[in-house]
Amino acid sequence: MSCSFFSNSHSAHKSTFSSSGVGMKLHEKLLTHYLSCTSPVDKEGYLCKKKERNATYQRRWFVLKANLLFYQERPADRHLLGVIVLEGCAVRRSESGVQFAFSLVFEGPGLKTYRFAAGDGQTQESWVKALLSASHCYLSLLVRDLGRQYEEAKQQRGLGESCHGSFIKQTTTNFFFPVQGPTAEVREGRSFSAGTVLHAPSIPNRVVPKKSPKLWPRRNAHVTPLNGPAPLYGEWPLVGFDPLEDFKKLHDHYGQEVKKAREEWLRSHRAEEAHIDGDLIDLG
Amino acid sequence: MRFNEKEMVSLSRQPSEMAAELGMRGPKKGDVVKKRLVKLVVNFLFYFRTDEEEPIGALLLEQCRVEREDTQVFSIVFLDEAERKYLFECNSEEQCGEWVDSIIKASYEFMRKNLIFYRTEIHRLTGKDPLEQYGISDETRFQVNNGLQLMPRDTSSL
Repeated sequence: MSCSFFSNSHSAHKSTFSSSGVGMKLHEKLLTHYLSCTSPVDKEGYLCKKKERNATYQRRWFVLKANLLFYQERPADRHLLGVIVLEGCAVRRSESGVQFAFSLVFEGPGLKTYRFAAGDGQTQESWVKALLSASHCYLSLLVRDLGRQYEEAKQQRGLGESCHGSFIKQTTTNFFFPVQGPTAEVREGRSFSAGTVLHAPSIPNRVVPKKSPKLWPRRNAHVTPLNGPAPLYGEWPLVGFDPLEDFKKLHDHYGQEVKKAREEWLRSHRAEEAHIDGDLIDLG
Repeated sequence: MRFNEKEMVSLSRQPSEMAAELGMRGPKKGDVVKKRLVKLVVNFLFYFRTDEEEPIGALLLEQCRVEREDTQVFSIVFLDEAERKYLFECNSEEQCGEWVDSIIKASYEFMRKNLIFYRTEIHRLTGKDPLEQYGISDETRFQVNNGLQLMPRDTSSL
């Protein structure tokens, strides 16, 4: 290796140490305790992990729990070799020459890419899927989205404030998960496998429509009327699509609603007009 | 145990709603209160010396108990060991309450419980599994019987 290689890599290495002179302290016992506690593991199994320095792969036992990927030599081992915190990374199926390979690409200057190889295609696929839905950011978006769907579902049933889940109830109305960093939303979406993109729904705050004195019920495109039939689930305000790509679809979808509402109004308005055309006072 | 330190440092730099200078006291006898920039990012509590960009450390906020100790003080107990108690001194009662609330809600396990609750309820109310559209209904992490018993299931609609 030439000297220039070393000097380049040295200057490129930004110190991550605080003034204590040692690296950031990750309180390991908290992690190992969490790993071994009663809540179930999300996935585990053997994978080959590429060594960072050279091109060799080492077989390791991996355990995925929450947004933490632990690894050790064998399943029975007490000693953990390491952990990878899965935030801010994309999961990629690798096109490299290695079979059944995939990687965790941390996005940012100087950040790592972890490379893995599975024993077969099914294992590869299963791990990729599990890792795609592992981050805290992802779960946060998902919970927020489902929370919204839950509120809508309750209103559809006309239940109003449900009596279920009293401990959750306090929190659902005030729930707010701050979206953490640039890895959420669209960026995460891009790394998903085709067909499933989760986005943070950007619909405005909904107002439940009150009974209006107008001839036709006032309809907000984002709200289905309380006394109308619930649309089929598939027709609900579109979730699970990328608004940046499908705005036209969204536009057309709500455009249909507006068109229908207009037609209804015209029909009933004409009916009223016809009524008024007759004499107001019957003079006999 | 190795970990992705650079990536963690990068994570600690992400914008966070909960970041403030608090008085922090460690669990050991003899630990004194020190002014730290405490920052909540995902399910980690990072703490920095107030003028530094790199965190001193990170605490995983799972399997811990957060409690209010005083009007302006809250504590986090880890490993169920009273000896592993960290104290945080806030600047107001309101701020203290916000921190307790935020830390509880930041836990991955807490979020998972909520997700499973919503999934079950949405299925009960609409007959559909809301995770199907995302293609993740089979993921172990979202399973309803994930060893977590939330509350008695309402079987009246079955």
